[in-house]
Amino acid sequence: MRGEIFRLVQSVLDGIDIFFVIYMIGYSSFLFLAVVIGSSELYKKRQQEKLKNTLLQDYYIPISIIVPAYNEEVTVVETVRSLLALEYTLYEIIVVDDGSTDTTSQKLIEAFHMHPIRRPIHRKISCLPEEFVYETAAQKVSLTLIRKKNGGKADSLNMGINACRYPYFICMDADSVLQHDSLSKIVRPIIECKNVVAVGGVIRPGNSVELEWGHVVKYRLPRNILACMQVLEYDRSFLASRILFDKFNGSLIISGAFGLFKKDVVIAAGGYDRSTMGEDMELVVKLHEYCVANDMPYTIKYATDAICWSQAPERLRDLCKQRRRWHLGLFQSLWKHKVLLANPRFGAVSFISYFYFLLYELLSPFIEILGIASMMAAFSLDLIDVPFTALFFLIYAVFGCALTLTAFFARIQTIDLKISFMDALKAVVLCFFEICVLRLIMAFVRATAFIGYKKKKLDWGHIERKKINIQ
Amino acid sequence: MKVEMLIYAYLAVCAAMIVFNIACIFVFRHKDKKLDDRSSAFTDKVRKQTATDEITEAHRKYLCKKLRHVNHLMAFDKTLEALYIEDPQKIKAYVEKLSAVFIYLTFVYRKKNKLQMAYFPYIIKKYQLFRGYNISIVTDVMLDLVREPALYCRENALQALYSIGDADSVIEALCILDVGAYYHHPKMITDGLLSFCGDREKLADKLWDKLPTFSERMQVSVLDYFRFCSGEYCEPILRLLASGDLGDEATYSCIRYFGKYAYEPALPQLLRFAEITDENRWEYTAITATALAIYPCRETEAILRSMLHSRNWYVRFNASQSLERQGLEYTDLVDIFEGDDRYAGEIMRYRFDQKKMREKEAAFL
Repeated sequence: MRGEIFRLVQSVLDGIDIFFVIYMIGYSSFLFLAVVIGSSELYKKRQQEKLKNTLLQDYYIPISIIVPAYNEEVTVVETVRSLLALEYTLYEIIVVDDGSTDTTSQKLIEAFHMHPIRRPIHRKISCLPEEFVYETAAQKVSLTLIRKKNGGKADSLNMGINACRYPYFICMDADSVLQHDSLSKIVRPIIECKNVVAVGGVIRPGNSVELEWGHVVKYRLPRNILACMQVLEYDRSFLASRILFDKFNGSLIISGAFGLFKKDVVIAAGGYDRSTMGEDMELVVKLHEYCVANDMPYTIKYATDAICWSQAPERLRDLCKQRRRWHLGLFQSLWKHKVLLANPRFGAVSFISYFYFLLYELLSPFIEILGIASMMAAFSLDLIDVPFTALFFLIYAVFGCALTLTAFFARIQTIDLKISFMDALKAVVLCFFEICVLRLIMAFVRATAFIGYKKKKLDWGHIERKKINIQ
Repeated sequence: MKVEMLIYAYLAVCAAMIVFNIACIFVFRHKDKKLDDRSSAFTDKVRKQTATDEITEAHRKYLCKKLRHVNHLMAFDKTLEALYIEDPQKIKAYVEKLSAVFIYLTFVYRKKNKLQMAYFPYIIKKYQLFRGYNISIVTDVMLDLVREPALYCRENALQALYSIGDADSVIEALCILDVGAYYHHPKMITDGLLSFCGDREKLADKLWDKLPTFSERMQVSVLDYFRFCSGEYCEPILRLLASGDLGDEATYSCIRYFGKYAYEPALPQLLRFAEITDENRWEYTAITATALAIYPCRETEAILRSMLHSRNWYVRFNASQSLERQGLEYTDLVDIFEGDDRYAGEIMRYRFDQKKMREKEAAFL
């Protein structure tokens, strides 16, 4: 009897073993492809820039920038100042205060001498009503503040879409700073290609970056170790994979911190979903679904040179909060648009992008934890070759580090950023920690994200803000 | 054994990537340094040549030989850029004498890869090479590049053609683009035409001749060009508008033209558009509502007032803006503010609030 149980456990562990080999090969190959293609794309882009294979003058596509804000009194004024300093002509700024309990609105009104105005808002998508509207025409471009009842980020964005005047809008976070040329860079795909409905910008943690009116004066890795590890993670996981998805029009996510959308298509698709936590991802998945369902030729692009500097959480608690939100948002988006799963109508979006996000993003924390548990079980039954397993993990970590560093250096070299030798060393050391420690912690956080899901599903998920130094 | 092989394979990949990273760091450093070295070598030679009135045949040969390689052409560009800051006239005169070199290079770069191919017309444009000269062998190559699928090949070649300033070549390029399978954004064409360096009147005449044969998208680009260019085309544009031969987008462009340049004979036609009640054609009414701002009279005021009651938000929005721009005061519009149509009152009130705000801000400044 004991022998039979042992054999059963052994065959289960063998099954898990085979599953993990396939799973790991799949993930490693994806990561490898993403980093190789992503890096080569960055190098190609640099070569294109050098040989002037690029737009040499600005073609002004009118843009509305929507800044949803909730309790952002610390950063909102500096954010708007940085937006006013952008090197672009035809744009407007709309700040939507989502019923903040702090002085977000007052700070803006005072800083920019704004005036109350009775502005009718054309409600094309549903959102909670406005409480008051302030405007000013004394700045470089039109600046509007709309204060509304608290309804979440998606609701604020919908209000912004209703109020904006131009055919394209940008959504961004109130704690982020756009690089001086980011608008002219993010509109490029629209000039280059006819059917672009959305363009994603690049989000970079800028915790220790010195910016002067959107220009990078000094680039260095954040002093905070956690933020520093996120820089490396962003390059490997986000930058590289999004470039890969971009190759086959398979992007399923455009960060809420910086993305450009064609307004009429977004309105036709129904705007941001107010019931979703990951409204940014949900919108992009919805655009895929909408365009395919309506036989509409469309492209969703990723602009690798349109840069937004954001604040990476510096406390583990904040990071966990952020990742929990992202994970729940991912779940909600994939669940809501499950029609994309294994659906030939959606082609590569279904069979590559959706499948990747399902297996390697949504389910990965559970799979990783299952892997650790089965290893422990195997160890306790003496079914594991310890030196071999240690070697395997070491090589896997080296592999991950090599990929991370490739993506990191490719980015640094292709945008002419200079980093010190100490920062390079820091990157080499911390990428090990990121893969061996932070990744495991995040797996646990994401696996437990569903605890308290119902209670927190419309929460802004606030994290500690620091004043942005733009000058 | 198989798993070990897999692990070794991954290890090899890791090693290759680390080597790649290190190699990249050195290659980039070396490339930048090399560019500087080449540029300073060119600087000495160009300085010697610009010191005298004529440039030597040996220098031309030297350039023909060196500039075949794109890295040298980039270094040469860097050199000229730096020397131009010191003495623009000298460099202009020097570059003018290099026509033969660049004619030769035109053929060399025609055979290069797409990236390098696109770089050459950029140089032509930047230094205004061949400006005012119709050197058919150069324009023919540029027209060839306009047929390329790569966007920047096409765009840089077009820019070179605008800078050369030959109207016939530009028209030919537009015809190629128009029938070609590749998308070229209308704004790029409009802005490009605005940078044309040759005889603008001749270009305008030729564009008029060709306009009916263009696709609607190209017509819009050309009509927008006329709009940004000057108000001298009111008469022919009105004729075109009245003919009814244009598609919707091209008609909108014509209406916008008359919204920028007031032309009384166009008013009856504009009023006809303003009276369109078909909701599917609301764009005609909305665009006309904006255009009517520069035609202040009883008739336009009446029609703009009626537009304030339109079911379409954009028509109301534009009509209110035009009424405000026509200089109407609060007292002139009391019937709107106190009328039954809340939407009309709201939008008009917003315009007056905005006006007041602007006046206040102007006084403050």
